[in-house]
Amino acid sequence: MMKVLVTVKEVATVEDEFEIEGTAIDERYLGADLNEWDDYAIEEAVQIAEAIGEDEVDVVTVTIGPEDCEQTIRQALAKGADRAIRVWDDTLEDADLLDVGAKTAILEAVVEDEDPDLVLSGVQSGDDSFMATGVSLADAVDFQWAAVVNSLDLDVEGDTASVRRELEGGVEELTDVSLPAVLTIQTGINEPRYASLRGIRMAQRKELTVQRLADLGLDSSVVEGDLRLTGMSVPESESDATVFAGGPEETASELAAILREKGVGQ
Amino acid sequence: MDFGLSDEQRQIREEVRRFAENEIEPVAQEYDVEETFPHDVHEKAAEMGLTGPYIPIEYGGAGYSILDTTLIVEELFAVDPGIALSISASSFGCEAIMEFGTEDQKERFLEPVALGEKISGAAISEPDTGSDVSSVSTTAEKDGDEWVVNGTKMWITNGTVGDFFVVLCKTNPDAEGRYNGFSQIIVESDRDGFSAEKITGKLGIRASDTAELVFDDVRVPEENLVGTRDAAFLQQMQFFDQTRTAVAAQGVGIAKGACEAALEYAQDREQFGKPISEFQAIQHKLADMHTRTEAARMLTYKSAWKVDQGEDITQLASMAKEYASRVAVDVADEAVQIHGGAGYVNDFPVERFYRDAKITQIYEGTTEIQKNIIARELLGKGL
Repeated sequence: MMKVLVTVKEVATVEDEFEIEGTAIDERYLGADLNEWDDYAIEEAVQIAEAIGEDEVDVVTVTIGPEDCEQTIRQALAKGADRAIRVWDDTLEDADLLDVGAKTAILEAVVEDEDPDLVLSGVQSGDDSFMATGVSLADAVDFQWAAVVNSLDLDVEGDTASVRRELEGGVEELTDVSLPAVLTIQTGINEPRYASLRGIRMAQRKELTVQRLADLGLDSSVVEGDLRLTGMSVPESESDATVFAGGPEETASELAAILREKGVGQ
Repeated sequence: MDFGLSDEQRQIREEVRRFAENEIEPVAQEYDVEETFPHDVHEKAAEMGLTGPYIPIEYGGAGYSILDTTLIVEELFAVDPGIALSISASSFGCEAIMEFGTEDQKERFLEPVALGEKISGAAISEPDTGSDVSSVSTTAEKDGDEWVVNGTKMWITNGTVGDFFVVLCKTNPDAEGRYNGFSQIIVESDRDGFSAEKITGKLGIRASDTAELVFDDVRVPEENLVGTRDAAFLQQMQFFDQTRTAVAAQGVGIAKGACEAALEYAQDREQFGKPISEFQAIQHKLADMHTRTEAARMLTYKSAWKVDQGEDITQLASMAKEYASRVAVDVADEAVQIHGGAGYVNDFPVERFYRDAKITQIYEGTTEIQKNIIARELLGKGL
């Protein structure tokens, strides 16, 4: 039985217009949603299970978050994950900021419990955007890893993941990673499905376990990090964005006109 | 008394809305203008299971209740009624097969519809048969082990795209009493003698397919009879509570979409140096639209919930259908008014809502018929 662990985060979403109160965005402008990158990671895990055989692969999600985010977790279950773990307790509730170190320590404990063959994590979260948890976890549990994966071909027999990684400047790398491994998943690797009505129905009956730090053999020291949030501000806009509305017939020529004007396309 | 939705119901609502905004909204104007059936959206909707939410799990559906289905219909209609109907009506007629069909019929007809491989329809109205259903003149005569169907059906949803239709036929012209002697017979669209002509030029729900069906000596095997011979009228009547509640949900959806569009536009549009939402005339319109929509929603949810409890709710279903359709028409009207000139062209969805809303006062029993029913029930007069 192969096991794929997917890290799933419920992220804060914010309206276009908002106000900042101290070091936080005023709650009136906040919503919550499944982290976009994790949506792709879930889809990848479910596709692996569908390709190999759903009885041969166990897809487990792990989330650090309060009870409120169970609806987001159920969304992952509705899309095809088999069961979910949610880690939360009063210590986490009271922490000002969970930095990469804290998340790594918690996820490390979960990986030790679950012993997965593959860990899929979104490249980043849409709100904090540390872009570090996946790789940091790989280091902590001493797994092979590949970051910013936009194509994945799994060879179960050979215990190898052949991946394509997105590097900077349009360069991509093809490489093989031995299992067990942590892969951070980039958007565009697949097309995430909608949770089907049947999936939503079944998700309500799937196992969702809540674990406290103590259950994982951890104590409150994991949340003590060196990182402090000291200020929050809206960055100055240095350039303008233009949004073209309409079909490709009209927008392509509008784009061409701008590129010509800016001297990009000759 | 509990007015809350379950976590599961909230999740259904959010995921359906996500689907509608991503997959329907971008193409809504195009399908309305072209007046074509949105096959590609229907296919995606089927993957998500939106083509037969109430069909039992063993036949490929999700086995959802009428209240759950109401939530789905509301969210789809809040984005675009034409495409929403193309999806939610793709299982028309299946409710009769579900309730009265044989095991063989359920396997043959329900599963492909739930999976989106087939589209069904219900054929009741005729050129001379609208509100007075008992005047149906399409006949089905038994010839050996086949039924021979002759007649014309009008205003049939999915007429040119449907794979089979549950057709209300007169099977016993000598039956006593105006409600006796009718049968429901499944006619596949690939049978010899079946033809369908698309009706174009509709005021609204233009993405949804509507056609006139002609049955010219169409022969179907006797096992295509649904339920009991000559008892179709009673069978059909059992679904009125359900189908009227569904139209009420459509009305609530249209009103919701129009409310949201109007609220957003009122805050964006500036006149006299401020958003028009700062003016009390607009504020009162918005307040009234949202209040009436919420009232229609509560009436509709209660009606759906009662259907799920197995209660007979003729009066309540008619109240919900009549009120929600009226609110849809009125709220869409006010939404266009708030948009001013911008609401009179199809750049904004309210122009579509305004045209699409009207049908909810006409199909599945007109407003006048619903009021007759409500009064009849109040006054204790039977059928």
